[in-house]
Amino acid sequence: MGYEEPEGVVWAVRSVSLEVEEGEAFCLAGESGCGKSTLGSAIAGILPPHAVTRGELRVGGRLVIDGGRRDFEGVRGRVVTYVPQNPGSSLSPYLTIGEQFYYVLKSTRGLRRGEALAEAREHLRRVELDPSAVLERYPHELSGGMQQRAAIALALSTGARILVADEPTSALDAHLRFQVVELLRRLRREGGLTLIFISHDLLLASALCERGAIMYAGRVVEVGSMRDLMGRPAHPYTRMLVDAIPRLGDRRPPKSYPGEPPRPGEERPGCPFRDRCPSPLSRCAVEEPPSIPLDGGRNVACWLYA
Amino acid sequence: MSLAGSTPNRSAVELVDVTAGYWTADGFALRRFHPVLKGVSVTVRRGERVAIVGESGSGKTTLLRVVLGVLQPASGRVVVMGREIYRLPRRLRWTVTSRIGYVPQDPARSLNPRLKVRDIVMEPLERSDLTEREKMERVRDALRMVQLHESVLDYYPAQLSGGMMQRVLIARAVVHEPELLLLDEPTSALDVSIQAQVINLLNSIQRKLGCTMVVVTHDLPVAQYLADRAVLLHRGAVVEDVPFEELVRSPKSELAKLLIRSFSLVTSSANGR
Repeated sequence: MGYEEPEGVVWAVRSVSLEVEEGEAFCLAGESGCGKSTLGSAIAGILPPHAVTRGELRVGGRLVIDGGRRDFEGVRGRVVTYVPQNPGSSLSPYLTIGEQFYYVLKSTRGLRRGEALAEAREHLRRVELDPSAVLERYPHELSGGMQQRAAIALALSTGARILVADEPTSALDAHLRFQVVELLRRLRREGGLTLIFISHDLLLASALCERGAIMYAGRVVEVGSMRDLMGRPAHPYTRMLVDAIPRLGDRRPPKSYPGEPPRPGEERPGCPFRDRCPSPLSRCAVEEPPSIPLDGGRNVACWLYA
Repeated sequence: MSLAGSTPNRSAVELVDVTAGYWTADGFALRRFHPVLKGVSVTVRRGERVAIVGESGSGKTTLLRVVLGVLQPASGRVVVMGREIYRLPRRLRWTVTSRIGYVPQDPARSLNPRLKVRDIVMEPLERSDLTEREKMERVRDALRMVQLHESVLDYYPAQLSGGMMQRVLIARAVVHEPELLLLDEPTSALDVSIQAQVINLLNSIQRKLGCTMVVVTHDLPVAQYLADRAVLLHRGAVVEDVPFEELVRSPKSELAKLLIRSFSLVTSSANGR
């Protein structure tokens, strides 16, 4: 997946093969520009018109991307739904929360105002918001945590069973982050939701997800259970992310590795991580590593395991 | 004879019963004062590393603005580097603020897009007596200190990554070798691996310059790496002011307990998988 730019196509996601099972909570983790949001947007059916696609993507069994053809009719919003990073940006500033529910439910299910508002009350209660305190309010009258809860309730009100949540907690204060994670856990338990959680915060992701993919420079460099990714990371980049997790009470500074990820579209032969890798091999400079299967359903794209 | 507003002491920053906030228009001629800081007293000794920790809206950034000399408090005393900054005439405040280095919150929005890195980093040296050649040497030293290659001198901000922008901001904050370094959420806009680099970089700069460092953050784990003491702000008031070890071992305020519990819950949930 990539984007048409004046200088040509900038590929944001390259040769990614992934499968997320129904009812699973799966994390796409990595740093800015690694392609995780592009992949999440593709799954949610909200790639911009200038996006370019290759390969196949199925959502809820439906083929939605087939080469350059994209068809999300009946899938976008109904099968898969999306919660963006900034809760404020996903809600219209000019409509009360109640009106926003009405317009969504009218367009997806043809509900009348009274029916839509009655349902909105239910959805708001599910995310632990008091409907009478929220329905008549505009987004700016709510706190960040309340906005994010309202955005999640609105996204799920269409009945979609797959939720793509793109960094839903990064704009929130530390203690509100865990509340949102708790909420998503409960919604999954109660509603059988499939969750695709996009985050750069491995600690938070592993509190919520069973499996995850670590992305770097548009590639998936490691896929496995969160327990394995956190406990015995295989790829040197996964190790680097785990080492950078702050640990409260341990005041030794986090281990820092030099360098920065390449910019989107920056392409060179070989492994894209080789400049930052603490143990590069000579073949890393010439050949890109394939995805190599390890034990426990894990895959890693690194020549160290070939 | 002492200079106006001069107070001889060993503190870098001393806020005594400071109330500060913002005015809004309420109707035609009515103006209403919204206090953000309410009777805050904090002392930071010279050479100390202190974190101001709180949630959004707790008054952290307002406190920095007061110390920076850009937000006059409604009441209270503000002493920065031994001078009562708001008792100085406006035209003389730079004599204090020029000894401060400031790293604002959002790197992408804090750099003038029309200026090259060389001009951005040189800004704090504008009023100095150094020659152009000496200023350029200082800029190069600052870039070396933040581990940026000289080739970025002719770059515009848009040509830099988020991590590089943050390094440029830090270079600008330290180019004049300040005695007091103020940092507003210095790592919140950065990726995790870059965050670790910047934490280590800031600590090494603080050691090298021997300056006082005040960091504002909502992130308790990050604060513990950058400071020895935590001042917790809640709704504009100081609720706890203790060394980090004590805060983590026996938190007293509800805010400290909440922040520590949230982090512990995430960690235990993650480990429980």
